[in-house]
Amino acid sequence: MDKPSLLPLLDARLPLTEEGIAEAARLAGVPLAQAWGVVRYYPRYRGLPQGRLLVDDPVARARGFARLLEGADGTHPPLGLEALSPIHVRIEGRERYVEYQGHRVPFREFRLPFHLGHGERLLPPEPILDLAAYERIGGLQALRSLLGGRLSPHDLIQAVEEAGLLGRGGAAFPTHIKMRAVAQGEAPKYLVVNADESEPGNFKDRFLLEHHPFLVLEGALLAALATGASRIFLYVREEFEAAMLGLEKAVAELKEAGLLPVPTEVFRSGGLYICGEETALLESMEGKRAEPRLKPPFPVEKGLWGRPTLVQNVETLASLPVILKEGPRAWRQREPKLFSISGDVARPGLYELPLGTPLGEALRRAGAELGEIQAVLLGGAAGVFTKDLAFPLRYRERLPLGAGAMVAFGKEVDLWEVLLGLAQFFREESCGKCFPCPLGTAVQVEMVRRRERSKALLQDLAQTLKGSLCGLGQSAYWAYASLLEVEGAA
Amino acid sequence: MRLKVNGQPVEAQEGSLLLDVVDVPTLCHHPHTETQGLCRLCLVEVDGRLLPACATPAREGMEVWTDTDALRTLRKTLLEWLALTTDLSLAPELQDLLASYGADPGRWGALTVRKGSAPIRDNPFFLRDYAKCVNCRRCVDACGDGIMGVYALTLENRGLLAHPTTPLDRPLPETPCVFCGNCVQVCPTGALRPLGLEV
Repeated sequence: MDKPSLLPLLDARLPLTEEGIAEAARLAGVPLAQAWGVVRYYPRYRGLPQGRLLVDDPVARARGFARLLEGADGTHPPLGLEALSPIHVRIEGRERYVEYQGHRVPFREFRLPFHLGHGERLLPPEPILDLAAYERIGGLQALRSLLGGRLSPHDLIQAVEEAGLLGRGGAAFPTHIKMRAVAQGEAPKYLVVNADESEPGNFKDRFLLEHHPFLVLEGALLAALATGASRIFLYVREEFEAAMLGLEKAVAELKEAGLLPVPTEVFRSGGLYICGEETALLESMEGKRAEPRLKPPFPVEKGLWGRPTLVQNVETLASLPVILKEGPRAWRQREPKLFSISGDVARPGLYELPLGTPLGEALRRAGAELGEIQAVLLGGAAGVFTKDLAFPLRYRERLPLGAGAMVAFGKEVDLWEVLLGLAQFFREESCGKCFPCPLGTAVQVEMVRRRERSKALLQDLAQTLKGSLCGLGQSAYWAYASLLEVEGAA
Repeated sequence: MRLKVNGQPVEAQEGSLLLDVVDVPTLCHHPHTETQGLCRLCLVEVDGRLLPACATPAREGMEVWTDTDALRTLRKTLLEWLALTTDLSLAPELQDLLASYGADPGRWGALTVRKGSAPIRDNPFFLRDYAKCVNCRRCVDACGDGIMGVYALTLENRGLLAHPTTPLDRPLPETPCVFCGNCVQVCPTGALRPLGLEV
């Protein structure tokens, strides 16, 4: 961790010239070959698409995609704007804007409208953008207990275990196991907050970062102190510029107040879906192409710069202060989870609901006419179509919950068009490191385009993608397989 | 140390890789370049999980399955996709594998992504013919951390469009390349080949 990371050095030299790339490589202490591989990997170094761009998310795909495209110069990957979709962004040089309510709002000023949030425990009654406001709603109690010696690191991890908190990023791995593994590792150790939310349909982390940054930071500080991590890195999706600025301000306020016991900094993500995969994320922080590592070793053993590293999702960390405030048993009785609901519902938005809520009930809360719903995409691109509205929204059930996205589709929607969008997303986002994923996701696009319904062919596609190196390829066929099931059930 | 491979007891030495113990096809793995775990042809099943034999140490008591229907399907399909996208005419071992797995690339329809790019002739010693490149990275690893440490090769782009290139896309003579030939030696598909063999 002695050398500066390559990505911030390149960012400081945008627009890139050959001299700038060579200088960044020299300062980072890496071969020019590595820097060039990086420049030819990440979109913002390769060159962003320009003009008026339709955000190509599952909602846009369901609302007459071809017609929407006519008014655009191209498309942009999903941005966590599904509750406002269809929506356009505009990119002029390196300036980026969201077209919202007839205005061009720069990315650095655009936050999801606060009224989209509905909740009490993870979501605040009003945006909490300064420390005083956070303390007014009872914030920092857990951190003060830990700093004052009234709560030990051991007891904190114990409480997380008793709560049974499962990772909220999609993999649902028990949080206390990772925390304990890092706590037992040798210093120096790091905490990386995975704030690279890029799964289509999900905008819960974006909302938390934009409107409740102190909750996320308190959770991160608790986790760092409990595990002995000496530095915290907030790895934030690079498009979430307002969130990054808000976090930097919040970190500065905590520091000023003497309440930042662990040095904390914002790291601008690589800007690709794969950057959310924890080992690809670490590679990008180390100035490499964001390509997943072979596991084992896992990040808790060898993570950032080879050191034990706790990588945790934003919502997971935001849950820590809530667990400690309510007590693990009380928390567990009505376990709060954030659900991003979009598509054909009257009030798309972010809903905090207890785990176990039936899918149909969740949609009703968002104003859905259940009789008009054809199917729901649950989880995201790495998700499944279902029409089982009685399905209880819980982990380790028949269907994967992912990070909690639900995109509802009415009777008129052509689900194959939605699926084609997901298939193209996977093909574009495949890093190309292992063989099954780049090949299989490309083959899948052609199969979906011709509406291939051969079970034998789909089974072989699935069997082969399962052999991919990471979760991106391993889950790339789920939506396709589930659509054939939903069709069969019709 | 004792393992079970496909139900049969097998002896293995401490420190072996599963690849030393089982008989599975490989493509990316090379002991000198330290390339491993990418092509997934050597995947085996252990406790219901798919693991690359080339990157997994053998352990006492392991039960390894190398030839399940699922693994055969995976290898056959992968080979078909490679044949569909890549010119394998100078990769006789892969052609033999395709035949032995009864591969039928045509069943997937057309997809000619890599085929068609023209060979790069920028030096007197060897050419780079990326229509034949499966992107196994042996050459990049040989040039970098694996053998030479000169870093004249890297990777361009992502997904199926990813392939080896030089720093700043320069002709090889303008890079740190020392023309040692290691990359040519380790290329499994004839994408890098000596000009002396060209007619």
